[in-house]
Amino acid sequence: MSVDRPCAPIAEEANHPRTGLRLIGRGLRRHARRLSIGYALMVAWQMSETLVPVVIGLVVDQAVDGGGWDDLAWSLGVMVALFLVLANGYRFGSRFVVRSVELESHRLRLEISGHVLHPRGARTASLTGETLSLATSDARQAPQVMRQLGYALASLVAVVFVAVYVLRLDLVLGLLVMLGVPGVLVLIQVLAPMVARRTARQQARTATAAGLAADLLQGLRPLKGIGGEDVALRRYRAASQDASTATVGVAAASGLLAGLTAALSGVLLALVALVAGRRALAGDISLGELIAVVGLVQFMGEPLRGLGEVTAQFAASRASAGRIAAFLQTPRLTHVGPGSLDPRRVPVLELDGVDAPPVVRLDLRVEPGRLVVVSADDPAVLDVLVRLLGAEQVPDAGTVTLDGVELTTLTTEDRRRHVVVTEHHTEIFEGTLRTTVDPLGSHDDDALRPYLEASAADDVVALHPDGLDRAVRSGGASLSGGQRQRLALARALVTEASVLVLHDPTSAVDAVTEHAVAEQVHRVRAGRTTLVLTSNPAWLQQADEVVVVRDGVVAASGRHRDLLADARYLEEVMR
Amino acid sequence: MSVDVATHQVLPVAGPRATTALALRLVRTRWLGVGATVMSFLAAGLTGIVPVLMIGRIVDVVTGDGAAQDVTRAVVIALLAGLGTGLFTAASAVGLARVVAPSLAELREEVLDRVLHLEGERVEAAGTGDVLGRVSDDVRRLTEALDEAIPLLLWSLSAIVFTVGGLFSLDWRLGLAGLTTAPFYAWALRWYLPKSAPFYRAERRAEGERADALVTGVRGAATLRAVGAEQVAMQRIEQRSSAAVDITVGVFRLFTRFGSRMNWTECLGLIMVLGTGFVLVRSGNASVGEATAAALFFHRLFNPVGALLFVFDSVQASGAALARLAGVALMPGEADAPDERIGPALLRVRGVRHAYEAGREVLAPVDLDVAPGERVAIVGATGAGKTTLGAIVAGAVTPSAGSVRLGGLDVVSAPARLVRRHVALVSQEVHVFAGTVRDNLLLARPDADDDALRGALDAALATAWVRALPGALETQVGDLGHPLTAAQSQQLALARVHLLDPELVVLDEATAEAGSAGARGLELAAEQVTHGRAAIVIAHRLTQARSADRVLVMESGAVVEQGRHDDLVAAGGRYARLWAAWSDTA
Repeated sequence: MSVDRPCAPIAEEANHPRTGLRLIGRGLRRHARRLSIGYALMVAWQMSETLVPVVIGLVVDQAVDGGGWDDLAWSLGVMVALFLVLANGYRFGSRFVVRSVELESHRLRLEISGHVLHPRGARTASLTGETLSLATSDARQAPQVMRQLGYALASLVAVVFVAVYVLRLDLVLGLLVMLGVPGVLVLIQVLAPMVARRTARQQARTATAAGLAADLLQGLRPLKGIGGEDVALRRYRAASQDASTATVGVAAASGLLAGLTAALSGVLLALVALVAGRRALAGDISLGELIAVVGLVQFMGEPLRGLGEVTAQFAASRASAGRIAAFLQTPRLTHVGPGSLDPRRVPVLELDGVDAPPVVRLDLRVEPGRLVVVSADDPAVLDVLVRLLGAEQVPDAGTVTLDGVELTTLTTEDRRRHVVVTEHHTEIFEGTLRTTVDPLGSHDDDALRPYLEASAADDVVALHPDGLDRAVRSGGASLSGGQRQRLALARALVTEASVLVLHDPTSAVDAVTEHAVAEQVHRVRAGRTTLVLTSNPAWLQQADEVVVVRDGVVAASGRHRDLLADARYLEEVMR
Repeated sequence: MSVDVATHQVLPVAGPRATTALALRLVRTRWLGVGATVMSFLAAGLTGIVPVLMIGRIVDVVTGDGAAQDVTRAVVIALLAGLGTGLFTAASAVGLARVVAPSLAELREEVLDRVLHLEGERVEAAGTGDVLGRVSDDVRRLTEALDEAIPLLLWSLSAIVFTVGGLFSLDWRLGLAGLTTAPFYAWALRWYLPKSAPFYRAERRAEGERADALVTGVRGAATLRAVGAEQVAMQRIEQRSSAAVDITVGVFRLFTRFGSRMNWTECLGLIMVLGTGFVLVRSGNASVGEATAAALFFHRLFNPVGALLFVFDSVQASGAALARLAGVALMPGEADAPDERIGPALLRVRGVRHAYEAGREVLAPVDLDVAPGERVAIVGATGAGKTTLGAIVAGAVTPSAGSVRLGGLDVVSAPARLVRRHVALVSQEVHVFAGTVRDNLLLARPDADDDALRGALDAALATAWVRALPGALETQVGDLGHPLTAAQSQQLALARVHLLDPELVVLDEATAEAGSAGARGLELAAEQVTHGRAAIVIAHRLTQARSADRVLVMESGAVVEQGRHDDLVAAGGRYARLWAAWSDTA
């Protein structure tokens, strides 16, 4: 038994941030509480890391250098206390931050897919691959800003602490540390873009090689059909060698950079040791302070480097956020209005003087309950009809109406309740045969049966012991083209739309079967309107009316049998 | 038609010994580079510990009686050592990449070579997921590991070895104190690894499922909207994305617990080293400078030990990836086939039978002769065995029994490379290869010049639209390129056949995906391309059968009727009924 087709509630138009920066700002606000706790803990952690050499100095100064057991005990106690803050600060602080990052990434992913999967669709120029990369890599990259901000804050506090500590100790030493460490890092920052450029190039080439391999495997059957394996392999070799050369180049550049960093840090450490050693020898600073200063110089590179990298990372996140923001700004695909229709009536579909190139002043009236086939010499005409009937396109002139109401002025619910348009290429989704033909789960097995039979999809069901519960892989990978098409047709029939538009529904189905299909579809759709866009004789025969479109205008119409008298028609459909 | 493979027969995975042997073979030709790299790593590790020893020296000068020039001397030594560390660090990075990058390239090329030359049936049996996973995911994982994790691992290892050596050089008791942490590090790792491995696997799986849901939603958006099921897809994305978030957060939680254990081990180590130093200094067995150097040594270990433990699972994963790649690379390669043209030759199919799974025969014994230049159309319902027969004739499927000969060539047993020079197979499956239109065509004949390409496009009736593309022959098509219609994609496939110039062409419903308006053009193109060759056309449009020299009607794996179109129509059998239904003129 069939039940009313549930109509998805139409989501309210969300107010999306217009720029990447605003998108980032919104993310920070969304997780403000969690992030502020996380940041506070991370600052505590980084401070503790910084203080480790200071406490080592303290232990040596107070206990090792002539102190007693009690001195050892209390100074090591300080060490334990420090590690208590250190270990837990990171453990819990970073958790808060990572959770925020992941949740924000999840929300962005849902916003992006929600935009694409909006009942009114999205009018974007993005290819599938680009949209997918938005929903995966960009949605992951954009919220990384939260993590970067955490490390940046923690590093900044640590660096300021070191500066104050060393400057208070000794002015010369302080200036040496405060100018020397950032100096080394600035030099590295100047050289780093060179490495980054090469890295980007290397990653691009590696990705090209990987993409090439995946592409070749996806086309393995056609490739093997013409014995193109060796040529393909030669191409992959070239790409792989390119990637390899680029990798060596990157390693050379980053190796030099790492070497330079190591050498300069070594020089700086030696200079600090020289000054601090002489000061300690002169008694200006204590032994503990000498050790602390040397330790801090060794350590300070870490947070400073972190600060340096934040700029580049932020740029990457901002770019991702920008792409997402721009995508979410793209307009809706279908046109809607406040109009409504009587849900119980099968409406009259009428195209009146429609101009939409290559369609010219097309008139077409489909009475309720009829099966009408439109046959066109130009496939582009059919594509335009699909868009017009899906309310994705407003005609330049003329109207497309249901019971006199323009299609593009109806609400999405009303339009979809009455008109279902399936394109020639339809997707099969992961799930079972049952979810494939009845994605909304609105029919039970008995109610599905007539539609499965009509579309000859019952064969596919019978082929497998699991029947309707047979698993279907993404893209219908385990099914043949004909099987996929018959399932798609069954799915269209199951919608029980009062006006169903089918575009070449049996092009991959064999000649024997498609006749039976056309006949049965005609029967099972009795009382409802079916518009089939095709030049296939099986459908032409079944049609209550055939409309022949040549050069964008209606050239002839009538029963197939009668039209066969027209030599040009015969040539067109029987060629 | 498709074949359901219930149990996947995955490609082999190499054992540890075979994997090691393969890795050694790959770097063997570069042994000079290997030697230089190892020496650089050792030298960088050695020079790295000198400055710490010198700081200890300065501390001794400060606490004991020393002169300013002792400080200066220690500083100069530290300075030189620092410069040396820089030099050797750079050398080790460059040397490593020069050894590893070309070896990896060689490996991935070998893997693709084996995979591309696998029999189509073997790929089906392994599942495209397994094959694709090796060529893309495993290669990527290994590349990333070799680019980042492996150098980090080597640096950390040499830093650890030399720093511990430095500790022992100060005093064996200080060295032992430092080593007491080793069991705790090992314990943390043994706690973490067994837990993390399944967690990371679950994370990868969850991300894969999330990606599947996203692909479904994005690619199928139009279809989903058409049937009003977009909320179903949204719910699935929501569920899977949120499951992936939970796992990722869970993985990170585990990781921070591990990090916390590491921190406490560091704390313990510092206490041990400082305590030992305290005792040794008290008993006069060590100087304050030595105790200080020991503590600084241990502090210096934090980063390399952390790095070592954190790259551990990425190294482990890359080992598994290497074993999986080695498994494929070690499969026997395909022998080169002699190049010989056999000229126009008769195709003789005798007693060919086939069953994809034992007991379920899809092809009864079939006999078939196709003369040079003859065009044979096969018609029949789904499941009649048309595709299987076509694939067997083209040498893509090995029949359970029977023989297929094209002139002197034994199609069943000859190497695929040889068969492919004489028989082309164009399947219903359309794929536009990523690259330019020219790249797509040259797959069939890499040495074809522009005239040959133009000729092929002409034959496939593709000249007009190719010329209209933004970059004509040089237009990027395929994934992320200029989108082509199904008919255009199939025309490219036909143009490839023209370039290949085989004696026999099998077209398996090669016009099916185009839709009725495009099918006519494609049929014409197919006729032109097969002109003058023997051709087997598996047809679903009967107009293709009408224009053929002979029609074969198949039912349940057997040929039930054959003859010329007109004769079959006149005979009034199955084909005649089919034709009547199709043409509605009876």
